[in-house]
Amino acid sequence: MIRTEELLLNVGPQHPSTHGVFRIVVKLDGEVIKEATPVMGYLHRGTEKLAEDLNYTQIIPYTDRMDYVSAMTNNYVLVDAVEKMMQLEIPERAEFLRLIVMELQRLASHMVWWGTYLLDIGAMSPFLYAFRDREIIIDLFNELCGARLTYNYMRVGGVKWDAPTGWIDKVREFIPYMKKKLVEYDNLVSGNEIFLQRIIGVGKYDAQTAIDYGLSGANLRCTGVNWDLRKNEPYSIYDRFDFDVPLGTNGDCYDRYVIRMEEMRQTLRILEQAIEQFPKDGEIMGKVPRVIRPPAGEIYARIESPRGEIGAYIVSKGKAEPYRLKFRRPSFVNLQILPKLLVGETMTNLITILGGVDIVVGEVDC
Amino acid sequence: MKGLLKGLGVTFKTMTSKKVTYKYPDVPLEMPDRFRGIQYFEPDKCIVCNQCAKICPTECLTLTGKPNPDPEKKGKVIDTFDINFELCILCDLCTEVCPTEAVVMTNNFELAAYSRDDLFKNKEWLYENNNHIRKENNSAMTTRGGVKKDV
Amino acid sequence: MGAWLQESLTWTNFAIFLAWSIVFLFIVLGFVTYAIYYERKVIGWMQGRIGPNRVGPFGLFQTVADILKLLIKEDTIPRKADRWLFILAPVITYVPAFAVLVTIPYTNSLYFTDLNVGLLYYGALSCISTIGIILGGWASNNKYSLLGGMRSAAQMISYEIPLVISVVGVIMVSGSLSLRTIVNGQGDAFWQWNFLPQIIGFVVFIIAAVSELNRTPFDLPEAESELVAGYHVEYSGFRFAFFMLAEYVYMFAIASLTTVLFLGGWHAPLPFLTFIPGVIWFILKFTFCVFFLFWLRATMPRIRVDQLMSFGWKVLLPLSLLNVFITAIYMELFIK
Repeated sequence: MIRTEELLLNVGPQHPSTHGVFRIVVKLDGEVIKEATPVMGYLHRGTEKLAEDLNYTQIIPYTDRMDYVSAMTNNYVLVDAVEKMMQLEIPERAEFLRLIVMELQRLASHMVWWGTYLLDIGAMSPFLYAFRDREIIIDLFNELCGARLTYNYMRVGGVKWDAPTGWIDKVREFIPYMKKKLVEYDNLVSGNEIFLQRIIGVGKYDAQTAIDYGLSGANLRCTGVNWDLRKNEPYSIYDRFDFDVPLGTNGDCYDRYVIRMEEMRQTLRILEQAIEQFPKDGEIMGKVPRVIRPPAGEIYARIESPRGEIGAYIVSKGKAEPYRLKFRRPSFVNLQILPKLLVGETMTNLITILGGVDIVVGEVDC
Repeated sequence: MKGLLKGLGVTFKTMTSKKVTYKYPDVPLEMPDRFRGIQYFEPDKCIVCNQCAKICPTECLTLTGKPNPDPEKKGKVIDTFDINFELCILCDLCTEVCPTEAVVMTNNFELAAYSRDDLFKNKEWLYENNNHIRKENNSAMTTRGGVKKDV
Repeated sequence: MGAWLQESLTWTNFAIFLAWSIVFLFIVLGFVTYAIYYERKVIGWMQGRIGPNRVGPFGLFQTVADILKLLIKEDTIPRKADRWLFILAPVITYVPAFAVLVTIPYTNSLYFTDLNVGLLYYGALSCISTIGIILGGWASNNKYSLLGGMRSAAQMISYEIPLVISVVGVIMVSGSLSLRTIVNGQGDAFWQWNFLPQIIGFVVFIIAAVSELNRTPFDLPEAESELVAGYHVEYSGFRFAFFMLAEYVYMFAIASLTTVLFLGGWHAPLPFLTFIPGVIWFILKFTFCVFFLFWLRATMPRIRVDQLMSFGWKVLLPLSLLNVFITAIYMELFIK
């Protein structure tokens, strides 16, 4: 008599492809997953609780560390919420600078995703190609605000630094370079039959499921739901630019891949227009009171981060510190569908699906 | 099959392209002027206003003042000024609020040490950290628009 | 060298054989050392990097340092591992890898033995290594290595068959299993080599060979992004070095075998180039084969395990069988 039993396997917290300290407990039958339980919290730093003792300017460096691959958008969502609460006017030049850095950040973030996703799938070169080109964006940021990852760039009412001389020109030169590189990326990977076989039809879900689970970003758009906050609820000055929102139809990993690649191209389009319209001069800080004390009340501001809808919910009691600050982190919400998706998939697909969701553990655990 | 060959073509072409590796430990990295590195502190400029300690999000910065030894002058002078680089996140807020530019950023970033105690830097150490000092300080907030400094 | 083998086994002859095999072992070890260096350099260049450059001039001693590190590392055996099998597994993996090299002829005169069943010997022995990998995976008592070992078993069995059948065409054309005879059957011009008339066999052979080597895109048993390191998760130090060594010695073997079977061995590609000694041609072709493996590794993502199996059984096996039939028909019509 042969006795069989399920294999209980801890994938993570130390595992090369869980993008940090994320852990999934899977029950395996052979290589087929019977049950998957994500375990989060290994990178929990209590940002939201810490924020209750900090004033709004002090919280900004903490948001950098939440989604450390896309710090600019995190900066923005916090200052945007406070600005909306205080009804501040943001100078034109500051808005443009914010938009340019956010779009550059989206590009950088998608590049990290692309590289690490391919690394998960077993190709090594894309990772280094992506980081080679991302380095240029990081250097641009370094020149602009003096840090490579944790920028602490935006302030309530504007931005901290004006663009240094020649910075805009560097961004302008970067756009055609990046366009060329995107073609190279496509040549290297997008047509690769092995890669396509790996991702087509894997991790499928339909639009209703995606909405039920509260997915956002590429994870939602891959099912064909046209929902991009840059278009649907234009914040900053996105309504002035012409760009498309790529949509999928099947809701599988392939669609998510294609959408993100296309988003990179659309981002370049936005950047092109933004550089063209960039105001020659102007203020970079609006009229901001000496101490930032939003009026009592609450607000929820949301924007489209590279990973989806990131939101900041602030309850203010009229003090310099928030009474309660809650971040809606897209990585965290997008992960919730994982236990459902993974059942019946193989070990290999676990990595494909998890990578396709595009998580940053700093943001999952916050 | 075509996709595989295209991919092989890309990697083959890259083989002869320019290498992008930094020769870092052999050749020091040149950081742009705005780079936020280890702070430089000039005791003579400090007016012990305590703003840097108040704004610090990680509370890594502590300072104490003492009465001015010159009885003619009013106010305090700095006595101790310590930054704990175990905690400091180099967020630049302390230099941003400093009204006299007593504490400014430098481009130095090499902090590795064998002991945690070595990461606790005092006034003297920070004063000696005087190369690559950032030229452009106190950023936009003082010069352009708005009210000075939003503490 | 073949002449010695015909003589009776005396103590002198035995000493000569032993000395030669030790010399050859060091040649192979030297190859492995510099194959790893070459691999890291090539992949580095393909990724816009420099590759190893810290130890010695141009990083030439990097692998030497790495091996030294592995040798002086603490030897750990997990307490819950099956101790004897755990110790035995790297040996079982490595010994056949070295033993298969005996049949490969490097030039018309430089070879170790001219077995009349050389190819069969190669196929039979290289299968044994699989057992070592499975044992290593099982004996570690680690779930990841178990999965890696199982994958390895499935993969090796499914790809061994097309590998062997794909060379049947070559055997039919040259009428011998002896590798030396096979090379002599090919001429001093590249259109006389086997890879053109046996193009289907050649392609199937290359794919199956890469799979046999457990290298990208078929590196599922050690898929580092899924199974951490696959069957050798628990191995460290010297024992790990043996698995590594076996992998690279097999690379040596497969690259040599490809050269011998399909790329004309020591023959020059064009008749007027015959003044260059055969061993140079062998090394050139061999280096190209090795380079091709590295090139694949720098480019390809990993194939999925179920796709791997269906590809092996549904595509490669029928193709290789087809190749046998085509060759048979061709021989019946034109050669007979």
